Amino acid sequence: MSGTVSVAIEKRLPGFTLDVRWEAEQSVIGLFGPSGAGKTLTLQCLAGLIRPDAGRIVVGDRVFFDAATGVDLPPQRRRIGYVFQGYALFPHLTVARNIAFGLRGRPRADRARRAAEVIERLGLGGLERRYPAELSGGQSQRVALGRALAIDPALLLLDEPLSALDAPLRRALRDELREILRAWGTAAVVVTHDFTEAYRLADRIVVYENGRVVQAAPRAELLWQPASEIVATIMGLRNVLHGTVIKATPDRIQLSWRGQTLEAVNSPTRSYLPPPESPIAFFIRPEYVRLVRKDRGAPDPHHMNLMRGRIVGEADFGTVWILRLRLDAAGEPAQGGFDLEVEVPHLVYEILDIERDRHWEFSIHRGSIHVLPA
Amino acid sequence: MDLFPLWLSLRVSLSATALTLLVGVPIAWLLARRRFPGRNVLEAVVVLPLVLPPTVLGYYLLVLVGRRGPLGQALASIGLELAFTWGAAVLAAVVGSIALVIKSVQAGFETVDVQLEQAARTLGRSEWSVFWSVALPLAWRSVLAGTVLAFCRALGEFGITLMVAGNIPGRTQTLPLAIYDRVQANLMDEANALALVAVGIVVVLLFGLSRLARLRY
Repeated sequence: MSGTVSVAIEKRLPGFTLDVRWEAEQSVIGLFGPSGAGKTLTLQCLAGLIRPDAGRIVVGDRVFFDAATGVDLPPQRRRIGYVFQGYALFPHLTVARNIAFGLRGRPRADRARRAAEVIERLGLGGLERRYPAELSGGQSQRVALGRALAIDPALLLLDEPLSALDAPLRRALRDELREILRAWGTAAVVVTHDFTEAYRLADRIVVYENGRVVQAAPRAELLWQPASEIVATIMGLRNVLHGTVIKATPDRIQLSWRGQTLEAVNSPTRSYLPPPESPIAFFIRPEYVRLVRKDRGAPDPHHMNLMRGRIVGEADFGTVWILRLRLDAAGEPAQGGFDLEVEVPHLVYEILDIERDRHWEFSIHRGSIHVLPA
Repeated sequence: MDLFPLWLSLRVSLSATALTLLVGVPIAWLLARRRFPGRNVLEAVVVLPLVLPPTVLGYYLLVLVGRRGPLGQALASIGLELAFTWGAAVLAAVVGSIALVIKSVQAGFETVDVQLEQAARTLGRSEWSVFWSVALPLAWRSVLAGTVLAFCRALGEFGITLMVAGNIPGRTQTLPLAIYDRVQANLMDEANALALVAVGIVVVLLFGLSRLARLRY
């Protein structure tokens, strides 16, 4: 099928085995996972810089690699734009010559026109004669992108495109990069270990762990329905907890945790129906835990999964506070010294006078308790 | 004073340096970038000329290119004779200096970021183009240093030259051999003058090298 990136590769290295298969319609694909999970290795296989032991790589209607038929296109013939981590700009060439580097073989006038066009579209005008050592981080990134885009690649590969930058610049350039990818409309594979980055840049995210794919889904689905506890952990989700199933139906799951009975929404599409008494993992986003106001009378009917606890720790993150709650229930707290992390806006923290008042009743909507299938 | 030894030495050293680069740079590239069977053997063979006594090297070269040697016979069949000619002096200088070029240039290639070469490949450049457009321009400093070292070493070559090219005044007597000859003949003034010339050449070259090394690319 044309318009699809299809990867199915195996590669054994000393102490590490990559064994992944994923497929995506051409758009921006994010490879997300911890360092050393095999994301960069996958890019190198896609670019033809490393030869897999087995498998098949197809981009659009072109077979790049097929172990069964012995096809293995050299990198020169794949027309892949590779933006390396740290950019790998040629230090001995000017910006203009870096960008025109992949245009050799075309007529001189053609080359000049294409390079000028790329320089203009990426806002690099005026920097043509600079050397890479004279560029800022953001400019280097755009030159690296320009060099890769100049050859009009069939697929663009970006390896941790923002990791060489410091934090404030990182966020600005993340959005700039997103705009560039949208504007050029080139299919791209972006490697990152930062979930926010993957979410901002990619339409579809493939989650890597230790040389394997643990989930591949559209970004929204990944955000709201991580497929397993492993994925939730890699995403850095907080309040990943373990309970016991009481009853599971296609739309509700009742579970017991720390002596409390909690009700969660089951995903009808996934129809996960674990038997009673079986262990179950779930997570609760810290910003979805609601403190029950003491100055209001009767309990609000919206409040469900009511619990009581004491604040045993807190941290000020400027606009929000992170509170650590310990339930009034007996037994060991679920996460070391506490049971739940709760995020409250700074304003709420002040209005409720949380600084002085340390004992709270709180509720969690059943839709905010996300079950993680085993 | 007869300046023939000076001109001969310059001619021999220049020719030897050119040949050394021609053979040494590709070998250095192979050693720095390729994994192939026999790589370790090649790496060891390359440093042999640095550690073997020059007379031993000269002896084996003579066995090889002498009238009864395999290479000598092959050359004789096409009407060429190498032993005891200035060509033999070039060969001696190449053998004496090639290890310096290979080691210096290999180190230079190894400091070039492999990613730059990979980037060039993804941008459609052939291995040949990667070498000329990326590796060499980035390693030129060490190529230059290796060249100067090789030239100086070739200029000073004594032991191997004596064995394969002999010490024939007016034909194969290079600068170092001439100095030795003058000292033997107790012509200290001439020995002194020739020695100063040798020192002069080397000092100028090293100074030039240090100036060039300040350039960026």
